[in-house]
Amino acid sequence: MKVKKSLTLALVGTMLFSGLLAGCGSNNKTKEEATTAHPSGLKPYELKMYLIGGPQKDLNLVLGEINKYTKEKINATLDITMFDWGDYDKKMQVITASGEPYDIAFTASWTNDFRRNAANGTFMGLNDLLDKYGKETKAALDPRFLEGTKIKGEIYGVPVNKELGQQWVWRFNKKYLDKYKMDISNVRTLEDLEPLLKTIKASEPGNITPLAVAKNYKPYLPFDYVLGDELPIGVYMDSKDGKVVNVLETPELEQSLDTMRRFYQAGYLRPDVATLDGIDNIKTGQWFADREITQPYADKGWSRPAGYEIVSSPMHDPYVYTQSAAGSMHGISVTSGDPDRAMMFLNLLNTDKYLRNLINYGIEGTHYKKISENVIEDLPAMKDSYAMPGFSLGNMYLTYLHADEPADKWDAFKKFNDSATEAPTFGFAFDSTPVKTEVAAINNVSKEFIPALFTGSVDPKVYLPKATKKFKEAGLDKVIAEVQKQFDEWKATKK
Amino acid sequence: MRIFKPKEKEVDNNAISSFWNVVLNIMIGLFAFTCVFPFLFVIAISFTDEKVLAINGFSLIPDKFSMAAYEFVFSTGDQLLRSLGVTLTVTVIGTIISLILITTYAYVLSRRTFRYRNFFSFFAFFTMLFSGGMVPNYIVATQFLHLYNTIWALILPIAMNAFFILVMRTFFLTTVPDALVEAAKIDGSGELRTFVQIVLPISLPGIATIGLFCTLGYWNDWFNALLYIDDAKLVPLQAMLMRIQNNMEFVIQNSMQMGSSFEIAATMPKETVRMAMVVLATLPIALAYPFFQKYFVQGLTVGSLKE
Amino acid sequence: MSAFFKSLKNDKALWFMVLPGTLWFLIFCYLPMFGTIIAFKDFKIHRDGFFASVLNSEWVGIDNFKFLFSTEDAYLITRNTILYNVALIFLGLVLAVTIAIALNELVNKRMAKVYQTAMFMPYFLSWVIIGFFTFSFLSVDKGILNQIIVFFGGDPVSWYADSRFWPFIIIFMGIWKSIGYSSVVYLAAIAGIDKSYYEAAMIDGASKWQQIKYITLPLLKPLMIILTILAIGGIFRSDFGLFYQIPRDSGAIYSVTNVIDTYIYRSMSTTGNLGMSTAAGLYQSVVGFILVMLTNYIVKKISKENAIF
Repeated sequence: MKVKKSLTLALVGTMLFSGLLAGCGSNNKTKEEATTAHPSGLKPYELKMYLIGGPQKDLNLVLGEINKYTKEKINATLDITMFDWGDYDKKMQVITASGEPYDIAFTASWTNDFRRNAANGTFMGLNDLLDKYGKETKAALDPRFLEGTKIKGEIYGVPVNKELGQQWVWRFNKKYLDKYKMDISNVRTLEDLEPLLKTIKASEPGNITPLAVAKNYKPYLPFDYVLGDELPIGVYMDSKDGKVVNVLETPELEQSLDTMRRFYQAGYLRPDVATLDGIDNIKTGQWFADREITQPYADKGWSRPAGYEIVSSPMHDPYVYTQSAAGSMHGISVTSGDPDRAMMFLNLLNTDKYLRNLINYGIEGTHYKKISENVIEDLPAMKDSYAMPGFSLGNMYLTYLHADEPADKWDAFKKFNDSATEAPTFGFAFDSTPVKTEVAAINNVSKEFIPALFTGSVDPKVYLPKATKKFKEAGLDKVIAEVQKQFDEWKATKK
Repeated sequence: MRIFKPKEKEVDNNAISSFWNVVLNIMIGLFAFTCVFPFLFVIAISFTDEKVLAINGFSLIPDKFSMAAYEFVFSTGDQLLRSLGVTLTVTVIGTIISLILITTYAYVLSRRTFRYRNFFSFFAFFTMLFSGGMVPNYIVATQFLHLYNTIWALILPIAMNAFFILVMRTFFLTTVPDALVEAAKIDGSGELRTFVQIVLPISLPGIATIGLFCTLGYWNDWFNALLYIDDAKLVPLQAMLMRIQNNMEFVIQNSMQMGSSFEIAATMPKETVRMAMVVLATLPIALAYPFFQKYFVQGLTVGSLKE
Repeated sequence: MSAFFKSLKNDKALWFMVLPGTLWFLIFCYLPMFGTIIAFKDFKIHRDGFFASVLNSEWVGIDNFKFLFSTEDAYLITRNTILYNVALIFLGLVLAVTIAIALNELVNKRMAKVYQTAMFMPYFLSWVIIGFFTFSFLSVDKGILNQIIVFFGGDPVSWYADSRFWPFIIIFMGIWKSIGYSSVVYLAAIAGIDKSYYEAAMIDGASKWQQIKYITLPLLKPLMIILTILAIGGIFRSDFGLFYQIPRDSGAIYSVTNVIDTYIYRSMSTTGNLGMSTAAGLYQSVVGFILVMLTNYIVKKISKENAIF
């Protein structure tokens, strides 16, 4: 009886307090102050913006410069808060769920997911705003950036102009290629790689890992994975009918797993690959081949920090996936006090060379010095107090280059993007709500079987049927059916 | 055990026989050794050269000695000292506040004459199991109490804890006889005075234990900093360490999706830095430990008391 | 009600002492519990803040709970969680008390302090770092254990793929990390015992064993009971790092390492959903709550003095 009384009391207390709280939460409308009129006729406004990356010491210094400029242009000032890589997603989830007002947030397919934010109503649809205030931004982008990130016809993020396509490559430690005079120009498939690995294994000491990969390794398969490559739900790359298949039941997978098993048994991989989160191969230099996603001039980008030469050979032609188009974007929150202004700012960020470089490289003379019109050299202050992740800050094509970068870097990016073809489900966003129970269950099965199977750590003859059975019990077929249904509906609207 | 009984009688003081003393020493000593062992490795790794570590794996004596990890950590300049300052402030103020809140609440629960002690016990216990979750907590702390980016955000949300209260209550129940409190009452001592002058002094071991747990709780807390602090001036030590770890894990897991991210991978702190951070975050609190320890590992045995 | 006012008047000081803590619980614990209702909702953001979001989100009944029970893994993870917790609670209790008494009996108190400090060290290391060290023991090719096995002519064991060993490894590591912390409570309780009990016992000629049995243990009993009851409340939860970092998330040994918390974590990995994670937490709480109420009821029947309420 006592307990019941206690419960009632506790409940009443809670209710009383939450009433109080509700009254508290809704007084955050923007303050509008009358100040001297701006030539544009806009009232002053402070934009609250969240970006990803380690907080930088000189951010406020640079913000001072930025604000002078944006004040003049659109009568807005900027307040940027940065959250560290590992914290960003969680912080943004809490901030958005708590309904805290802000204007702009960094979003992508890999953190602060724009699909999640669109689905739960955090982000504003941007179609109209882009047409009104973002024409120049739109014009500068490959149209596929916007097409691929649409959800139900609505744009939810202003994409950063950068690489659009995605292409997996085999990377090689050039030292060994030279030593054994190997030619990698024709190495594309696992089977092409096999003789090379064999040579290395036979001739090099045991501490050289021929194929240095970790548990997230997947052999390249010609599928467009609808729910990410951890879940075996895909559409054939060259599919005509748009049929969604269970990747586990395809002959391509079976063949690849057999090859991987052979590799594993031959000792080309680390014996504990299925439990390795990462592998230090670049640091140690004790490796022959691994796999990575490329971009123009990537070999150079890899070689420089490694301190030795790394070269690569593509596994396939570049494709444009939804997640590769959504690698870096900015969304506008529904809690924004002035979405128009937010879009004006984003437009400026993506088209104004001065502003774009200011936010990326800091202040000329303090953080960098100019060598020529478009080429800069970092000053020590850049590394110490203003090292910003450039790809998250708007149109990359406007940024200055460093002396050791090729002058045609951005042209090469354009060419790369032009050469990429669209994956079959490009632009399709799956809403997992109707099958969330099944998706949760198959996630678990995936973690249990995929790393061991795909790295060849277990015999596919035994474990592939086991995995398939368990996936099906967890509801894989139901999820596939739902994907198919939504995909068909989406295709119908495209025609 | 019985066979040793006569022998114990001969040695009049109440210590265990030297045979059992040796056996216990060996067993506990061995176990204690396994407990410090990894820590010795952490220290060794923090002084090892990064590349040599990646190639050779780790060993108790660094294959190639290097101070690079510490140089890196200290190169963040005053951030480390500042974070240490924040942690110390939070730990000291927090522990004092917690002890006041916990002992007073627990004492009331231990008073058998208090009619509502069961209600308040339940009231506290219930919060051990049920919580609103991260988002509602965040709203209370930021929108209702406006704690965002204040030092109180690191103290208040963990100031109390039902577990400590119930343990403290048990300490009061077992070490403070009712008769003592009643006697004080008859002597005309007020409830508060009895609590401060009579109850607290005889409960020192319990208070030291809860005080130690609170200190450790504040010292190790990084989650509140993650939620409520983005001002570099207020980031505590553990949060700094945690951010570095989170970043490393995140980059490993997401490097492929981030595309143009060579720059990030190249600037990431490394394994040895991580270990150096563990050393730096743990040593100060480990040094403070004996201060608490003197209250619960007794310096005098009963036997020697008697002599 | 009149009893209430009478208590207010008579125990003014006690009410005054309990008030700050009560307020704290109200603000930091009971107030946020409002949020639990999103376990029953399809949570969508509303531009007017969290409360508007909660109120405007659609009710979905127990939809958010279903993923916990949808596959046959539900049985496995529940079984694992309960068995590990029972083992950890029981062994933890026995060993913590044993170590506390043993430390207390050591002749050289300086050594006792050194041991006690040493046993506290694992508490300071995160599971990530401890996982790093267990890996150095258990790694297939470079692990110390396998090197020893090979040295003595045995075949190397692939530890992370063989589920036979893991119940022992998990329990050992769990106890190893927490024992220093949990034995402190008992040490303090022993330190708080009135010395005259032992003096009287010695005069009566009681052996050490008898003193422990008839003085120390009975006086530790209330603490043992309360800590056990509280631990039972967490029987559906587990120390995430112990079950995730130590086995290195190896799929081959899920059958003995997957517990409710790791299952939830893996479920949420691609479809992080506030409603579902709130639902999972609520499920763990409710089960723990029921079990504690039951235990407390039983304890109360046996000895009223030792129950929590």
